[in-house]
Amino acid sequence: MFVDAWDPSYGASFEGGDAADGPGSPSSAQVNTDVEVPADQWAPVDVPARLKPPDVVFLVDGVRRNDAGLWTAEEDGQSYAGLAASYAAGVVRCDLHNGRAELAGARVARGLFTASPSAEDVTAGSVRYEVHRVSGTGEASKLPAAVQPPLTALEIDISSEARNHGSDGADLLVVDGPLRNRRQLPRTIGYIKTQQKQYLSAALTTVVTSLKPAQRTPVFGMGTVWGGWSWYLRLPGASGAPWAGIVRIECSPDLTPDQAIELAELSAATLPRFASSAYKDPRAPQNLVPIAGLERRLRGMLGDSRVLHRALTTATSRLR
Amino acid sequence: MPTDVPSVNLSDPWCNMIGVSDEVELANDPVGRVLGTADATPLQFWTAVTPGSYLQLDDVVVTKRDLPDREPVTIAGVVTQVRARHEGAQFDSDVFAIAEGTLPALVQEAAEITTTRVDPELYVPPAPGAVVHRATGAARDAALHFDRMERRVPMGTGRDGVPVFLNADFLDGTRGAHVSISGISGVATKTSFATFLLYSVFRSGQLGADGTNARALIFNVKGEDLLFLDHPNTKLDDRTRAAYKLLDLPATPFPDVRVYAPPRANDSSGAPDVASRLTGVDSFYWTIEEFCEKRLLPYVFADADDERQQYTMVVHSVTAHLARHAVPAEGGISIDGRRLGSYGDMVDHIVDQLTDDETRSTWAGSAVNMGTVNAFARRLIGSKRDLSRLIRGDLAARRPHQIKTAESAQVTVVDLHNLPDRAQRFVVGVTLKTEFEDKEKAGTGRPLLFVVLDELNKYAPREGSSPIKEVLLDIAERGRSLGVILIGAQQTASEVERRIVTNSAIRVVGRLDPAEASRPEYGFLPPAMRQRALLARPGTMFVNQPDIPVPLCVEFPFPAWATRKSESGPPPAETMRSIVQGVDPFAVVGGRSGSSDDDIPF
Repeated sequence: MFVDAWDPSYGASFEGGDAADGPGSPSSAQVNTDVEVPADQWAPVDVPARLKPPDVVFLVDGVRRNDAGLWTAEEDGQSYAGLAASYAAGVVRCDLHNGRAELAGARVARGLFTASPSAEDVTAGSVRYEVHRVSGTGEASKLPAAVQPPLTALEIDISSEARNHGSDGADLLVVDGPLRNRRQLPRTIGYIKTQQKQYLSAALTTVVTSLKPAQRTPVFGMGTVWGGWSWYLRLPGASGAPWAGIVRIECSPDLTPDQAIELAELSAATLPRFASSAYKDPRAPQNLVPIAGLERRLRGMLGDSRVLHRALTTATSRLR
Repeated sequence: MPTDVPSVNLSDPWCNMIGVSDEVELANDPVGRVLGTADATPLQFWTAVTPGSYLQLDDVVVTKRDLPDREPVTIAGVVTQVRARHEGAQFDSDVFAIAEGTLPALVQEAAEITTTRVDPELYVPPAPGAVVHRATGAARDAALHFDRMERRVPMGTGRDGVPVFLNADFLDGTRGAHVSISGISGVATKTSFATFLLYSVFRSGQLGADGTNARALIFNVKGEDLLFLDHPNTKLDDRTRAAYKLLDLPATPFPDVRVYAPPRANDSSGAPDVASRLTGVDSFYWTIEEFCEKRLLPYVFADADDERQQYTMVVHSVTAHLARHAVPAEGGISIDGRRLGSYGDMVDHIVDQLTDDETRSTWAGSAVNMGTVNAFARRLIGSKRDLSRLIRGDLAARRPHQIKTAESAQVTVVDLHNLPDRAQRFVVGVTLKTEFEDKEKAGTGRPLLFVVLDELNKYAPREGSSPIKEVLLDIAERGRSLGVILIGAQQTASEVERRIVTNSAIRVVGRLDPAEASRPEYGFLPPAMRQRALLARPGTMFVNQPDIPVPLCVEFPFPAWATRKSESGPPPAETMRSIVQGVDPFAVVGGRSGSSDDDIPF
């Protein structure tokens, strides 16, 4: 029996099924497990001793917050739901050689997400909520998902900017969450904390659960929509439960298998030192230390939600 | 006035915007902004320091608050606390992750500003986000109220290396008087600061004729430190000379010093008892005749005025009897038909008379019982050893032997360090009483007399009563109008009579004992300064004066005069006249040495 390190309010680091069994729902995706080694020779992979981890690591993350729910009153008497949300993306540049972690870039944006055809930008106090028109009927429950694309776009912008300024050509960019449409960024890996789908067969899953800290599985290919190369890695500091401290990492399918394997080696050499400790982070060890710090900074930059809520209330009452 | 301090139009102390013009602000990069995560109040606020700049304790800053419908308010203050912290760190151990380069964090410094001046006097808080500038030149003078001081006595430099001043109005009795200096013995440099302050009063010219004519009476209680005030200091280097120049003071010893020392014990010649200074020292003593005539007996007893002590009655009746019946007889006195030639003889005679049933009532009155007389006698006999060298019947009465600042040099040093405790009290009490009475008779507050007295807690303790304490209280309470200014020093202000401390307009603190620093007597120090006082270096003092709401941290220069034999240069020419005495043995008795024009005895 093991206690999950994650705070229960965040769920578990994997979802569905029994806690001991790992991710519940098996994926329907086609999985190619013969990329690095044939499937019958799968075994945990250690970090090669000769490997030099990158000196500079960029970590990208975004945060979002719903500031207020709104309702519009159309001239024809209809009403649309609206969501005023603040979101921010930022990049941490960790210079491990010089021991300096700094915010390489951060940007805050605010949007008013609604399907209403009549809605206009709302200026609340000193901030401006730009209208993002949502297609379709725009029910209130679907609006939060509409915030994700602009946030991802912001993350892409900010990470390419940060790299333009401080890249040494050998750095590594870690994106929080699946790569999705960020796959065109060079030397980039997606870092997935929560395991929802079981991609591997039962026989190969035992390789995952038998990983020791800082060991990874061989690279496998995934035939899903977003696709790409992927591998599992166990972070240090976990409780010892079979799926504790396991993260899945993916990289762009446009890379050759050799390039993917190189990235996998780099990730296994780099990421374990960023693992957080359980008493400091409710999602340890998967929530990486720089990401946690970045999220705190970004949340601070979003501004005080009560102030924004009040400003929105004042601004909309003036519009009436 | 030092050249690097821009002059301020003194005729108009309320000059506009306390010297902060737009040019000043433009020339000065902003050093930070008022922060909004802590309350900003009109009297205290926090400033976030701009990355790349810094603020240290005691820096002077200025900010502005724009107001609708009226001119902007300028708020100036000094930094009383600075802190730096990692923003973005939650746990103490995060610092390792930050240093390792895995956790992003920001180092942010913030400074607490205590307001010293608001102009115009509209007590509004500075707005969070307002730009804060370092105050220099006229703005700094204004922030520290130097521009309103008509006469400013330099007392050293601030932490920023620019002179700081004392308002002479609070020193010479115009609006206040007396200085109280507290600090641990040895490291607090209390006496050095007191002498430097005197030097500055005498030499800065800020007090005009008052400064030149002023006299100082210094009691030297420890070592022979103060006996070399008129000797140049051989360790004086160019840096110290530059420091004096910055303060617009000459780096020279005191020009006019006279040193008095007690006569050597068991020495009939009355030669002064000093070890290191051999020239220009006079001995002081009182003749028995003076002792009786001036009613000095109560000063022999430390607690003679204490109501609880029965024998004080005897002290006063014996004093009165001596004054009434003693007849001068060649230095000594003659009483009841006997000539008494020494203090010991006199004590023996008094005790004999008191123990004799027949004569007791004429000396002590009728209602005195034997126990009280014995208490008196025991104490009187005990004083023989300590006082017999000071109260003499064998030395010439006409020889100058009294300490009189009016007839002495500008600085009169009275050396007490060789004397036992009781004798020290006697000398201090009698000298101060004489000086104060002379001032009362003269009825004028000029010339000023500065009295420097260390270990004030011994002479004016908080508890009890004594004739010496009464004299000191008199000086503290009435001295201001009579031109007698007490510069008192003590290790612990909490042990000194409260009325003396509260009457001091200027309070100075050097390094303090931790337990002492928390006492209410140091309430004028803000908490951060109280902590700093625990580690103040020698030469650093915190000076509180009435018209500046925050004590100023002052570094005063190394003395330009010698403070011990080893660093003393050649003695001044006047003192070379005689090996043992500053008084020319061939000069007319009673005449002032060196003033040759007055020599002719008409």
